Amino acid sequence: MGVLLRVAVSNLRASKARTLIVGGIILFGALVVVLGSALVDSIDRGMRGSIQGSLAGQIQIYAASSKDDLALYGGMMGESQLDPIEDFAALKRAVEAVPNVRNVVPMGIDQAMVVTGNEFDFALEKLRADVRRRAAGERGVDLATRYESHKAHLRRMCALLGEELKSAHAIVDEKLIREHAQDVWDLARATAPAFWADFDSDPLNRLEFLENRIAPQSLSGGFTFLRYAGTDLDAYRDAFDHMRIVEGTAVPRGQRGILIGKLFAEDWLKLRTARRLDKIREARRLHKRIAADEELQRFVKENQEQIRDILLQLDPAQARIAAERLSRALGRRDSLVLADPTDELRSLLVELFSTDDANFDRRYAIFYGELAPLLQLYTVRVGDTITIKAASRSGYMNSVSVKVYGFVEFRGLEKSTLAGMMSLVDILSWRDLYGYLTAEKAAEINAIKATAGLRDVARENAEADLFGTRRDPGFGDVARIGELSAMGVVRRNTDAALFSRVHSQGEIDRGVALNAAVTLRDPSKLAETMREVRAALASARLDMKVVDWQQAAGMVGQFISLARVVLYTASAIIFAVALVVINNAMVMATLQRVKELGTLRAIGAQKGFVLEMLVLEIGAVGVVFGALGAVLGAAAVWLIRARGGIPATNEQLYFFYSGPTLQPVLSAASMAVSLAIVLAVSLLSGIYPALLGMRVSPLDAMQSAE
Amino acid sequence: MSAIVGIENVSKVYRLGKTEVRALRGVSLEVERGQFLSIAGPSGSGKTTLLNLIGCIDTPTEGRVIVDGTDTNDLSERALTDLRLRRIGFIFQTFNLVQVLSVHQNVEFPLLLQGGIKRGERRQRVGALLEAVGLADHARHRPNELSGGQRQRVAVARALVTGPALVLADEPTANLDSETGGTIIDLMKDMNARDGTTFIFSTHDPKVMAHATAIVRIADGQVTAREGGGAMVL
Repeated sequence: MGVLLRVAVSNLRASKARTLIVGGIILFGALVVVLGSALVDSIDRGMRGSIQGSLAGQIQIYAASSKDDLALYGGMMGESQLDPIEDFAALKRAVEAVPNVRNVVPMGIDQAMVVTGNEFDFALEKLRADVRRRAAGERGVDLATRYESHKAHLRRMCALLGEELKSAHAIVDEKLIREHAQDVWDLARATAPAFWADFDSDPLNRLEFLENRIAPQSLSGGFTFLRYAGTDLDAYRDAFDHMRIVEGTAVPRGQRGILIGKLFAEDWLKLRTARRLDKIREARRLHKRIAADEELQRFVKENQEQIRDILLQLDPAQARIAAERLSRALGRRDSLVLADPTDELRSLLVELFSTDDANFDRRYAIFYGELAPLLQLYTVRVGDTITIKAASRSGYMNSVSVKVYGFVEFRGLEKSTLAGMMSLVDILSWRDLYGYLTAEKAAEINAIKATAGLRDVARENAEADLFGTRRDPGFGDVARIGELSAMGVVRRNTDAALFSRVHSQGEIDRGVALNAAVTLRDPSKLAETMREVRAALASARLDMKVVDWQQAAGMVGQFISLARVVLYTASAIIFAVALVVINNAMVMATLQRVKELGTLRAIGAQKGFVLEMLVLEIGAVGVVFGALGAVLGAAAVWLIRARGGIPATNEQLYFFYSGPTLQPVLSAASMAVSLAIVLAVSLLSGIYPALLGMRVSPLDAMQSAE
Repeated sequence: MSAIVGIENVSKVYRLGKTEVRALRGVSLEVERGQFLSIAGPSGSGKTTLLNLIGCIDTPTEGRVIVDGTDTNDLSERALTDLRLRRIGFIFQTFNLVQVLSVHQNVEFPLLLQGGIKRGERRQRVGALLEAVGLADHARHRPNELSGGQRQRVAVARALVTGPALVLADEPTANLDSETGGTIIDLMKDMNARDGTTFIFSTHDPKVMAHATAIVRIADGQVTAREGGGAMVL
């Protein structure tokens, strides 16, 4: 063995170039495998944790009769259509019996419409509150000032709306002008001095007019779609450790309420100017520059142009304060006291939002420090009640009011619009929204069906017709309902009775769900537990599909597998190339050594000796350079970690990395695997040339064969 | 005196593409122990082929080659290799040393192949031979640091280190100048005299032939003459 090694090593050292080339390829391969595995492993672990800990749990259960497969993050064509699980309580009982099961959480995931804010409504609310207080007999300077200020604010808003409508007419055709004739007439009335002069004589009627005729014209936000899960909120919090309430509180046990997704709030419920400023700041943090980036330039432009929302929000007193602050902050020495303070504020705002890379950070600080405290940054705040509206499958529109208790975030998915935008609603509100009957109601209907001989009573229609639970955002005014038939509205007053009611666990469980998330005490026993769950459901005669979290996560869950496939493919390609190159190099080397090998055979070396020698040569290269490559890979991992990981520069990467950075994790297993692969490839590529060498005849040692 | 090598009516035919080359035709020969035999002939005469057959590097197409009492036809390839290792030593025209090993290691190599010899004994045997060939001071040198003559001396040492009964040299002086060549032949002769090892070498150089105790002349694959000890068998 000693002589073999000595000869092998000596041969390697003698042909340095060849050894280095071959070794270099092997080193590269080993490095890729080690580094790649570290990255993929940490992505896998992170995403697994994020997905399981935010929404999926380890196992998901849904009705086997469902048309679509469960897709927790939405499928290609929108939400998947699932058949309801009629009695969640029965399912829960069956599944909880399996020892490894920790939680069974009901869910109904879907999208609903929620209207984003309306400054006009806020202003109306403020004024109405003042009017009520005065009507109740309250007096005082403070109230009087506020009343006047709020009245002036509303008046200014009407004026602004009137201007807007006029400038809109300038570019719009005759037909639209005729359609908006009523609007024009209404606005004319609302801006007429007479309207405001004797406002105080009949405030409530005036308010109603404004509410019904003017408010709808100022709908600035429109509506957005809120993706949410209707669930048992307490069980959810217990089961999903990645859930974090970042503002406000949890919904009190057994009560109805909503926790709005923080990211959703940032994207859809925040003042658009503030949102754009945030986005610019984020981008700059990732070393993007306004000067070089088209999107950022667009944001700046939009900020300068769309200041109406800010103007509308500020009543005259606030507007004056804002103008003073901005003037000071922007260092305007020649503060012109213009005739119309609105114009001054407007010009100050335009200046404030003329941001470039040099002044951005300061302007950002000014906005949030001086201006934002005067504004309502979010159209929905903790404590507000919002109305969400959805269409059931038969097209019937239903709406439900819920109180906002707080904002929720999912650790690792905070910036992912794909997976981090979820809001959480109590399951009872969700059931109402979808017109799902409870088990009792279903039984009642069946009884009625039996006696009345009715056959096809659709669920939604049944509830609506038989129990009269159709709910529209009634304001007691038919005209308004007609206009707002597709919208919900933000209201400040709470539906106290319903919201303070405490529902029992039984009420929460005994009803419909679309899918159930199951968390395990020991997640490593996943396959086994899935079998047990299936068995439990079968013996409870519940026809359900039981899938693991990755399947349930649909396309999103497949990203993890994709990352692995990419790594394996890349490694395979590298090693295939290595194999070919090494093989070629070694064959050439062997052919060059024919005389030497022949000599060895002539003086008495057996074929086996020659074979072992050649295999050892390539094996030694493989081991040495493979180990070196693995060490370099480990060093690279360490270096990346030392520098804080790989930053996520966009939203998709944020989701992959389950956070702002990716910290690769080295494992002894992956290093061992990489060495094994390297060795196998080296030997495989060396075997053919070794066999060639073995077959060299001792005759070849002779100078020439006569 | 007993014959160490017996060639009985040996023929060797090579296939070169589509043509057949008859390198040896019905050659018979006996070599006695202790002889310093030269196989002489022009190139293409078949002398290297004859040497190859004797050295068990090649096998005859017809006839028998008997080395040290063993019929080589009876031996497997593995056994032939072993025979070469233990009973035969080789010296090549182009020296054929292992470039990556030192002089000492080159000479030691066959002992390592044999196995079972302790390091001390190996060192002693190698040392003794290096002394005998006059290269004790060059033990750590690499072959590319030596002259042609020195390299061939290493080859001689290597060929003798296993204590073979027979040493075969294929035109050992062809790549050396006449003076150096003479030295090598003298060295080989000394070894022959010292240990009684049989030397058979092929050459076409008459000056070299002059040193031999017996000469076998070969041409066109047949032995044409036998001079010196031993009978000629046609």
